[in-house]
Amino acid sequence: MSVAVAESVIPVPRPALGRVGTATLLLLPIALVNAVGFLLPVLNLLRMSFNEALSGGGIRETFTLANWVGLAGDSFYLELILNSVVVSLTITALTLVLSYPIALYLHRSSGRWRTFLTVLVISPLLTSAVVRTYGWIALLADQGPITSAIAALGFAPPRLMFNTTGVVIGLVEILMPYMILSLLAGFGRLDPRVEEAAMTLGARPVKTFWRVVLPLTLPGIALGCLLCFVLAVSSFITPKLLGGGRVFLLATEIYDQAIVTLNWPLASTLSILVLVIFGAALAVYARILRAID
Amino acid sequence: MMHQKILSGTLTALTDRDAHLRLDGLTKRYGDTDAVAALNLNVPKGELVALLGPSGCGKTTTLRMIAGLITPSGGRIVVGGSDITRMPVYKRDMGLVFQSYALFPHMTVAKNVAFGLEMRGVPKPEIERRVTEALAMVRLESLAGRKPRELSGGQQQRVALARALVIRPSILLLDEPLSNLDAKLRDEMRNEIRDIQQKLGITAVFVTHDQVEALSMCDKVVVMKGGKLEQVGTPVDVYERPETPFVASFVGRTNRLEGAARGDGTVSVGGATLRVPGRPNGPVEIMMRPHRVRLADVDASPAGEGTNRLDGRLTRVTFVGDLLQYHVDVNGAELIVEAASDHGRFFRAVGTPVTLSWRIEDTMVFRRAA
Amino acid sequence: METNQTSLPMKILVALLFLFLLAPVILVVPISFSGEQILSFPPQSWSLRWYIALAQNSAIISAFWTSLMLGAIVTVLSLAAAIPAAYVIVRMRTMGSGFLYNLFTAPLLLPTIVLGLAILIVFASAGFLGSFWGLVIGHLVITLPYALRVLATTLGNLPLACEEAASTLGGRPFTVFRRVTLPMMAPGIVAATALCFLVSFDEVVITLFLTGPRLTTLPVELFHHVESRADPLVASVSVLLILLTLGVVMIVDRTVGLSKTFVK
Repeated sequence: MSVAVAESVIPVPRPALGRVGTATLLLLPIALVNAVGFLLPVLNLLRMSFNEALSGGGIRETFTLANWVGLAGDSFYLELILNSVVVSLTITALTLVLSYPIALYLHRSSGRWRTFLTVLVISPLLTSAVVRTYGWIALLADQGPITSAIAALGFAPPRLMFNTTGVVIGLVEILMPYMILSLLAGFGRLDPRVEEAAMTLGARPVKTFWRVVLPLTLPGIALGCLLCFVLAVSSFITPKLLGGGRVFLLATEIYDQAIVTLNWPLASTLSILVLVIFGAALAVYARILRAID
Repeated sequence: MMHQKILSGTLTALTDRDAHLRLDGLTKRYGDTDAVAALNLNVPKGELVALLGPSGCGKTTTLRMIAGLITPSGGRIVVGGSDITRMPVYKRDMGLVFQSYALFPHMTVAKNVAFGLEMRGVPKPEIERRVTEALAMVRLESLAGRKPRELSGGQQQRVALARALVIRPSILLLDEPLSNLDAKLRDEMRNEIRDIQQKLGITAVFVTHDQVEALSMCDKVVVMKGGKLEQVGTPVDVYERPETPFVASFVGRTNRLEGAARGDGTVSVGGATLRVPGRPNGPVEIMMRPHRVRLADVDASPAGEGTNRLDGRLTRVTFVGDLLQYHVDVNGAELIVEAASDHGRFFRAVGTPVTLSWRIEDTMVFRRAA
Repeated sequence: METNQTSLPMKILVALLFLFLLAPVILVVPISFSGEQILSFPPQSWSLRWYIALAQNSAIISAFWTSLMLGAIVTVLSLAAAIPAAYVIVRMRTMGSGFLYNLFTAPLLLPTIVLGLAILIVFASAGFLGSFWGLVIGHLVITLPYALRVLATTLGNLPLACEEAASTLGGRPFTVFRRVTLPMMAPGIVAATALCFLVSFDEVVITLFLTGPRLTTLPVELFHHVESRADPLVASVSVLLILLTLGVVMIVDRTVGLSKTFVK
């Protein structure tokens, strides 16, 4: 991310304050919020993960690796972490598969139709995650339309809610707009003439897709997958509501430890762990990008 | 001797008193490089001066320092006798016309022109009167209510000019004002700007990389290169009597030959001997304008008095409408001769041996590092 | 409209995927008119009872007003802090502009669950929990980076020459800013306003950590409601929320164009 920086600078006169003084004064509000609401809390979080949790929500200021060692030795947490990563990867893969056709179609359409469809893709982003999860609760409920339809076909109605399946379905839908927009950004490289060229050279549509379209869109795919994975690992609202307290993931556990159990050192440790997973995902992404090039 | 000294002293005093804008050792340093290096320049009141040079020569930096948009690293800017080097831009009273016009997109044409007057606290009725006057001067009265985006490039240019002039600036600064216009409009605006400048008798500095603009519009041309002055003079001076090879080749087209001067007014170029004005000695470069060179059939008789002559072979003829360009190979060097095109008829076919001739006073000679 | 490369099966597939994408949002509309006691789809009977119930639910109404106030105050403060910051970073270029920009937009890189917890721990010891101004600061942490990003991009794309022209015409720095820079930034300011308001109004995760029993916002109230029971009340609120969002989006679209604002 970068800001376009002006080529030259209008000389600001040097009144009482001077240039640097004026700049400092103008930056003060945003710097204060950043310090109080971001820097200080995040540094404190790091510190907190090395404190000792006492029973009943007490905290002892110390420097211990107990939280980290505890995590590594507790099969519940190891499974929780593994589960979070696996579920997030599953969600990412499904989101990609379901978003790709939409993105490709959007890329090939133009004019007002394209604008309209883009608005349709963006609009869920502007709708609260609570509202969208609520919609999924209605759809996936035990007596809901989907289970009823399956039962009407003579199959045993599956449980679609308050389990991992429900969480995956809900999150896939919630993350699709991010994936579609990332894919679209990456499709900039995909010139329809390239496809036409491949076809004039005798490639059938399916072959054109695998040999020409897909390789060209890999950077967009990588970006979308990174974004979805990162959002899935840290998502909280949907797992909490659609999981109904029966699905244990990192984000829900952080919340429970922080609000219910009041074990802040552990919640902090789990939070740092989420950031570590972020870092790992970013490293993998960088590596994939290099491999594509 | 004594007499001469007094005279030159008087001359300096005169120019100093007349100078409306004076740059004294003006310098702008970026890191290790001098974008403008110790520039000295006097601009008399009412003159239109061109700063001419290739991009990166420091001409725009100089203009922006005069305007107050860039703070100089050293030197002084003096306007009408007072030092304004440290004066903030908004107190300077400079009318600057930008290359991109820089009209305020959210204001009407009239509001754009009125802006500078409002900043000066001019009473409303007077603002109205002066805006109308300024728009009349650039023939845009009827478009006062339009927004800039509804105007053509030439119209925007004229609004920018009116906006800069309405404040009655002490100096009008023009930064490549014509470079965004198409060729025909450019010719028109060139005359229009010159007419307005002369009618108002305003001192003006005009930055351009186009030698035609500089020569045709300005009282004086300042040729710059690498942040330094190459030559200051009238358009005729810089074209006819360039002081450096750079000026000769940048202002107008030139043919170039290298040779060794013998100190007796002759130069040996390859096997031939050319006569040059003055008595230079040592390695030199010789230049002449393509249109001052004549093309003729090979002639064995000795060259006429006051004429230089070289033999060569025609290698290419290019038809460029009003001109024909003959490329002639002279002992491995390519020289160009320009002649008015005569209904597209060529002088001779490619491959023909020819003789080039030009007058000695049309031969420009410059010392060359060995 | 579309190229002929798209075959019929592909079109059907895309239509189905769009249906999947939009299903939960579309669904809340019929559910809100349900006549049933509990959440079910399709409803067996239709009524306005859940809109009436909403009008009588003082908890949700007070949460709505809190959210509205919060969103308005957060938006105003975001603009007030981000406009000067964008100006300094893009135009004045004092010490380390690039670094400052990255620092001030860094909160967007953190997941809200982590940010929420981090703020909770610090605010708890400062006694900021459950307070309105604590919420304001918590929301500013994430709205400010959005506002700064939009405004800095807008300002960076503005031609500097207009501001220079204004100053050569005699405008002092602040006058130039007020008369030229600010009006030219208008599209970015509209976009930033809409973005800040929507982000604040929809924020759940950080807010969940900072609200108390006596102070809650609409999304948090809805979250707790969905968590505890399944009835169509939330659907009626959702419909109103979607309409509100639609209104904001339409205003933005009229002034600056939608895709410019939300598609980065």
